[in-house]
Amino acid sequence: MVEHVLRLREVGVEYRTPAGAVTAVSGVTLDVPASGMTVLAGPSGSGKSTLLRVLSLVERPTTGGVELRGMGTARLSSRARRKLRRREIALVFQNPGDNLIGHLDVGDNLRAAAQAAGRVARVEELLEQLGLPGTATWKVSAMSGGQQQRLAFGCALARQATVVLADEPTSQLDAASADLVLETLADLARRGVPVVAASHDPRLIALAHTRFDLRNGALAA
Amino acid sequence: MQIPWRTAPRAALSSPLTLLVSLVTALLLSFVVAAAVMHSAASGSAAIDYQQDQLCAEALHPSLEAADVPHEYVAKGVQEITAAVTDKPPLIGTYTREKRVDFGGMPTVAKFGYRPGATDHLKVLQGGSKDGLWVPQSIAVTTDLRLGERGMGGRLPPVTAVYADVLDPLPAWWCSERHFVVPNVLDRDELATAVVWMPSAESFAALPPEAAGPTDITVRFPAEAPRTVDEAAALLAEGTARIRPIEDMFNRKVSPLVLPVENARQTARNVRSAVLPLTLISLLIGLAGVATVTVQWAQRRQQELRLLWVRGSGPFALGGRGVLELGLPLVIGGAAGLGTARLLLPVYAPSEIVPPGTGSTAALAVLVAVVLSISVTFATGALRTHRMFQVAQRGNRLRKVLTALPWELATAALAVWAWNRVQNSGLATTTKIGGLPRIDAAALAFPLLVVLTAALLTARLARWALAASHRARFWSKPAAQLAVRRLAAAAGPVTGVLLVGVLAVGTIAVGTAIAGSQKTALEVKSGMYTGTNSYAQIKPETTELPEALRGDSTIVGYVELHGRTALVVDPKTFRDGAFPFEIDPALLNEPLRVGTAPRREVRLPGLPPVNPSAWVPTFPKLGRSGWVVPVDRIEDRDDVGSWYVWTRKPLGELTGALSTAGVKFRNVGEKSKAVQGLPFLTIRWTFGFVTALGAVLAVVAAIALLLAVEVRRRQNALSGAFSTRMGLGPAAMLRSHLLELGALTGAAVVVGLSASAVSSAFTVPELDPAPRLLPAPEVPNALPLLVTTVVGSALVVLVAAWIAVRAVRSARIGELIRG
Repeated sequence: MVEHVLRLREVGVEYRTPAGAVTAVSGVTLDVPASGMTVLAGPSGSGKSTLLRVLSLVERPTTGGVELRGMGTARLSSRARRKLRRREIALVFQNPGDNLIGHLDVGDNLRAAAQAAGRVARVEELLEQLGLPGTATWKVSAMSGGQQQRLAFGCALARQATVVLADEPTSQLDAASADLVLETLADLARRGVPVVAASHDPRLIALAHTRFDLRNGALAA
Repeated sequence: MQIPWRTAPRAALSSPLTLLVSLVTALLLSFVVAAAVMHSAASGSAAIDYQQDQLCAEALHPSLEAADVPHEYVAKGVQEITAAVTDKPPLIGTYTREKRVDFGGMPTVAKFGYRPGATDHLKVLQGGSKDGLWVPQSIAVTTDLRLGERGMGGRLPPVTAVYADVLDPLPAWWCSERHFVVPNVLDRDELATAVVWMPSAESFAALPPEAAGPTDITVRFPAEAPRTVDEAAALLAEGTARIRPIEDMFNRKVSPLVLPVENARQTARNVRSAVLPLTLISLLIGLAGVATVTVQWAQRRQQELRLLWVRGSGPFALGGRGVLELGLPLVIGGAAGLGTARLLLPVYAPSEIVPPGTGSTAALAVLVAVVLSISVTFATGALRTHRMFQVAQRGNRLRKVLTALPWELATAALAVWAWNRVQNSGLATTTKIGGLPRIDAAALAFPLLVVLTAALLTARLARWALAASHRARFWSKPAAQLAVRRLAAAAGPVTGVLLVGVLAVGTIAVGTAIAGSQKTALEVKSGMYTGTNSYAQIKPETTELPEALRGDSTIVGYVELHGRTALVVDPKTFRDGAFPFEIDPALLNEPLRVGTAPRREVRLPGLPPVNPSAWVPTFPKLGRSGWVVPVDRIEDRDDVGSWYVWTRKPLGELTGALSTAGVKFRNVGEKSKAVQGLPFLTIRWTFGFVTALGAVLAVVAAIALLLAVEVRRRQNALSGAFSTRMGLGPAAMLRSHLLELGALTGAAVVVGLSASAVSSAFTVPELDPAPRLLPAPEVPNALPLLVTTVVGSALVVLVAAWIAVRAVRSARIGELIRG
């Protein structure tokens, strides 16, 4: 059994701008355990979201490499990376609305997420687990932000992804809604799904089994 | 198919504006493509139609004539012809030559004829029974012949009708028989006579030998006038096959349809090749529009596309998602465009009639356009998502390259090349008499390339100016400053609208100018060629105009010897009857030298020695060379070659007035049939289509402007609401929007009109299908177009400004800030 679901080795990310190259992340080496909740903590601009995009295989690092379940991804083609994303990874964005397809109802959102990974969603069971029973035919716009974000994690569950990554999942929510999301995250972690979240929310950081602090694009000592 | 793709068509309903824009874009694109096909095909039909006006419809093809057939063989010959041609009954005319005939009164000359149905196409003056002779009024009056009398000692059938002599312009039924039924009244041996019509073929065969003699036979095949090139070609082929068994019997076989069919085909080819480049440019512009709509779709759906991307979908799958959402409006728009092109055919095409199969060709062209649109949607969707997600950090190199490329230099170089073609071979002349010149499509593209270059250059300059506009400081005039800032903030759409606007105004102006110039050129050249509107040759002794013609007519003598020509004119009336031209009336009282005529004394038959000191560059009928002599210098009118009545009245009125006044005439003609107009019409039809395309582009520009305002409604509303709260008055707000939109539209109108004026001024004199005829085409008065363009643009600006100001007034600022 692989002990680490994701491993970063000397990862650096640079962006070209009219003013010159900007370093977003440099020399990050870390291992994400194959279970439990891992949190990338740090203030705004520390490189959390960039690192999360690298971990989710959405963005290629400028330097260094990423391993998913022991497999190096640096030399993979875009097509192969997409295949990995499809099967292995679920990414939850900061804004609840960005995680769902607005013109589909709740049930179809879960089904669409599962189909994308080649799986079949058991909609009612999932909604039950998420504490959203009976909402399958609801329009997404009829849900609150917290409910939408929980549904986003429901989509991740429906995909049966190897790892769930979440970028500031509570930052756009009020306290009550954020509590519901935290509860969902804790539940996922309890089930053994490896969760990686980038956040500066102390309540989320408190749930972490593993924590990496980032400062100015590098791991804090 | 996964759910987001399966539900894409339904998802399209969430943005009716995108649906509408897609549909309208496809509609316009398909309209242009279908209209190009239909316009070219219709130009062939129009060419057939135009030439039919110039031809005798009664005997289009074929037309057979046999001369000097012994009278005793006529009946047998007619039987043989009828027996040989079974599929279509021929109309056979038989005519004797003029003979001295005794009708009991004064001896006269008459010719006898029989043509089935002839008596149905004559104007009866007395009697009307069809079982006897029909005698022309001219003979009846001369011989004091009355109904019931029998000529030649009773051997002829009794006279049962007196009819009015057949005169020019001939009714259609008689047009092929002019040579036989209209006597040459100016013939000085006085033998000329109209036809005495026999009641039957048998009675014609039984004519007394002294009245019969050598006989002329005409065989015509009246047919429905063909409406298309294909119908004309079929008629030609059928007719040729039909007469094959009998054609050896005839010494004259005429096929007046051969050249018209060839000309019509050439016209359709000319128009097709001329509109093809423009259609391709329009197709590219339309596809660019489709790509823009797809880019906007990708921006609007960015969140969903990113989600699908993160879940592992690739660019092709996401491009396909775009096709599934935008494809249906494209297909519906394509069908609507095809329908609109068919519906508006009478508006933009030179003929409403298109050959069979044109609809299918147009549908095929639309299908190709729709498939291309869908492919562009797919490719744009795929590329856009690839750029947004896969290579996001690399920047948009393609766009940078496309923007940096000096397209205007390329089009300017093409314009120079096209100008070279205009000067060298724009309208290559043909060696075939009556044939059409070859129209060089590249040459016709010159004015449009100038407009395109101007549009691209304007767009580039505007982009630079907007990029540098942050240096402008007009805060003392806040309306102007805000207008500049709004323009700069929407630099992309602004330059796009400007580009399309300049193209629209420019193509409309170029199309109108060149089509108008050809119309006027044909009219004026025809007038200068004939010298007048209608004319008829008269006898020299006719010196007075009939009362009905006075004030609009004149009598002119015409002398020609060895290529040298002179006109004898009546200074008092010449300008009444001649085609309008500029001349000092006093000059007509003296002999005149015209154009390049030599400066020395010249002697022409019937004229005194002429050595004029006065000179004019051109003169009606004479063109650029000849002499003009006042009638009072003529000693003997009989010595002058021929005399004509020139009138500005229609030909029918001229011949009617002459007949009523008892003036004998022959050799009639009119301006409208004097010059082969197809080359002029080809250019006119081509640029008529250019105008139609310009109108489509104008619609695109207007919609793009209104959409640009509507799309940034929220942004406008927010900034407008803030400006209003900071003290900007409603009038200043309106002024600001009017300034912004007016500057954009005004620039498009000014540049478009200027570019078209320059290119038309260079092109129009060069596009002269008949350079030997005067004058060269001239650019028509642009004022009506200018007024229409300005009024149209002002209306669009007012509507757009109203939309913008309304958005500000109805804005709820709290909601705007929260949103």
